[in-house]
Amino acid sequence: MKCEWVRQNIVLHVYDELADDARYELDQHVARCADCAAQLQAAREFRTTMATVKVVEPSPNLLTSSRMRLQEALETAQQGGFWTRLTFDPGVWLRQVRFSPALAAILVLVGFGGGIGATYRTMKDGQQTPVTVTAPSAEANITGIRSITPVPGSNQVNIKYDTVNTQETAGSLNDVHIQQLLLFAAQNNVNSGVRVDSVDLLKQRLNDSRVREALVYTLRYDNNPGVRSKALEGLGSYVRDDVRVRDAVLETLVSDANPGLRTEALRVLEPVRADASVRTVLERLAAKDQNQFIRRHSGELLAQLPQID
Amino acid sequence: MPAESCALPWGERERQRGLRNAPAVSAGNDGSRQGHMAGESLNRIDDTVLVREAQRGDRAAFEDLVRRYDQAVLRLALRLTGSEHEAQDIYQEAFLKAYRNVGNFRFECSFYTWIYRIVTNLCLDHLRRKKVRKEEAGVVTNADGEEFSVIDHAADERSGANPERDLLRRELGSQIGKALELLTPRERMVFELKHYHGLKLRTVGEMLNTTEETAKNTLFRATQKLRGTLAELR
Repeated sequence: MKCEWVRQNIVLHVYDELADDARYELDQHVARCADCAAQLQAAREFRTTMATVKVVEPSPNLLTSSRMRLQEALETAQQGGFWTRLTFDPGVWLRQVRFSPALAAILVLVGFGGGIGATYRTMKDGQQTPVTVTAPSAEANITGIRSITPVPGSNQVNIKYDTVNTQETAGSLNDVHIQQLLLFAAQNNVNSGVRVDSVDLLKQRLNDSRVREALVYTLRYDNNPGVRSKALEGLGSYVRDDVRVRDAVLETLVSDANPGLRTEALRVLEPVRADASVRTVLERLAAKDQNQFIRRHSGELLAQLPQID
Repeated sequence: MPAESCALPWGERERQRGLRNAPAVSAGNDGSRQGHMAGESLNRIDDTVLVREAQRGDRAAFEDLVRRYDQAVLRLALRLTGSEHEAQDIYQEAFLKAYRNVGNFRFECSFYTWIYRIVTNLCLDHLRRKKVRKEEAGVVTNADGEEFSVIDHAADERSGANPERDLLRRELGSQIGKALELLTPRERMVFELKHYHGLKLRTVGEMLNTTEETAKNTLFRATQKLRGTLAELR
């Protein structure tokens, strides 16, 4: 019976879910029973084995895009219905009534306390009011990036960013924290100048797929043509090797509102003009694009390609 | 309300923001228990303040709540769905549901438990549908539709320069993935929340609208099944 109870509870013991007295009892039994000790050992090994697979953290890009998508959806979402708000909820009403006397008493006490405190303060001339200084939280979330200043002749960069208060940090481009701030700046900042600076610096780290993804996102969705241009400039060298980059550049070529960027995208795609997706787009543009230069240049690029039977 | 139901998942405390409408207090950088508890209770108070503001229609307050818990929500959804795309859908649906219903939140549990309850329900629905479809275990798709293995990814990071160990880890990871797929959705959920997210079974019970005792029994069954399956696969 005892062994049976121990075996039922070994898992809870291994996962620290047993009450103190039960854990003590189990430990005492295991010290005397070789079979149960072996069971406990096996359960511990099982936990270690299962820990081989670690929880994969969502990538900053995934988190950022999820947040942006949610923000967009919240713009149109409404909290409850109008009629729901007007519905009489006896539970809430009772709760409010129940706490009303206590709240009234607290208000009276606070009123008295405040009055006495104010009188005392006016009577004490020249006494300074104490100022509470709160320490800035190093781990507070970032609300925005103010400026990015590269240090000439090095890979150091100074970044001024806002949490509750503006903060500043400096470090190498290899520093993960600096990279996170730059990625944040590239996608979330309201100041397009800062986005240009961050994308310009991130161009140096394009071998990192996260950075490439961030720049692809910028190229597709940033509303400032200057920022998109910087992203395109950086991504150009990956148009041959990375299909996602190629697709994003093709998208720019087809649908970007800025003719300069479309022309630049056409130039960037020249090395991969034989690619089937690029060829299809070029054929379409050569046939009926509204921009004369794009139409003519697409035709020229197609003419350079060998014919496919 | 039990203290455990307000416990935060791994890594969440490290990313807590400065408090809104409340004085900033250090949560104990020296790791002292007192400071830690002060941080926790302040966090709870802060959540309450934010929820009340959100109930009055303050969207910024709701977005603050989202940013407190969304990484944990996305991590859980990603782990259970195995797909970035589906995890994002669950994330979106969960927080929209929370936003629409925050007016009905009665503070009978922590906001954290409440949002996790919404997410676990959505994930359970997903697991049940997946069970029916019998999708291939372990292989997942990212937002671009490319297939890759979450388990292989995890093994890669820690294998260092030892290809043999890497291979063994990949094999083991694959076996674990298969074994997890054989659990019922509820067993899988309890095991994931306990083993990979480190939640107390009392909290897990609350999230799944059941008792701690039932959560204990479910964990026991899940571990028995997993051990059996892994023994067979080896």
